[in-house]
Amino acid sequence: MSDQDLRLERLIAAPPESLFALWTEPELLLGWWGPEGYEVTVEALDLRPGGSWRVTMRPPTGTARTLSGVYRMVEPPRRLVFTWAFDEAGGRGHETEVVVTFDAAPGGTRLVLEQRRFATTERRDAHQGGWSQAFDRLARIAGR
Amino acid sequence: MPPLDTVFAALADPTRLAIVERLAARGELPVGDIARPFAITPAAVSRHLQVLERAGLIERRIERQWRFIRVKPEALAPVESWLARQRRHWNAALDRLEAAAAGMSKRGRT
Repeated sequence: MSDQDLRLERLIAAPPESLFALWTEPELLLGWWGPEGYEVTVEALDLRPGGSWRVTMRPPTGTARTLSGVYRMVEPPRRLVFTWAFDEAGGRGHETEVVVTFDAAPGGTRLVLEQRRFATTERRDAHQGGWSQAFDRLARIAGR
Repeated sequence: MPPLDTVFAALADPTRLAIVERLAARGELPVGDIARPFAITPAAVSRHLQVLERAGLIERRIERQWRFIRVKPEALAPVESWLARQRRHWNAALDRLEAAAAGMSKRGRT
């Protein structure tokens, strides 16, 4: 797997239900979302298709950064799909889609995280299905 | 340097991505050869090349009466560094998720 591949897979010793809760319940999300020493606040987490989420991460020194997006698919405890972008000066930054799946496996859960690098929702919709494949190829080019 | 959105949008089209891949493999091609593997009109090729040029992905070179197109090797650097940053972010987050999940099962919560 190349450094550019944004498919991450982990076997975690916990049932899918626990992991789904860690991703979707604000008080549980706070426990792991932000890097060590960061103060994390969950400003919104409306867990339903079309619902918004918004999280701010404040480092011990320096500027706080806000991430936000919209849930696209909410299928407990199996799958979660949401959009993702940092707030930048002058608006939202580059928006992508994150797909997290939780599959029961011997010893726990196989968690697969894929981040799709589309530029806008409109474009994503226009190219549904082709994204993953297109960007696998792109990653190969970029890795040359 | 063109914004990341412009670069991603340029590469989001299958024909344009294929053009970039082909140029990356061949180094440089005469303009007339670019469209050869694709069933598209010269006008469509020209539009695709314009989009790729605006995104800073390709450049043109003119040698006497011949016109060539090549990939700008540095063009994909912002894409690469963006991907590397995202990967670092998620790897660190998943480390913490793993620790949080372990803490949860110790407390007997499922």
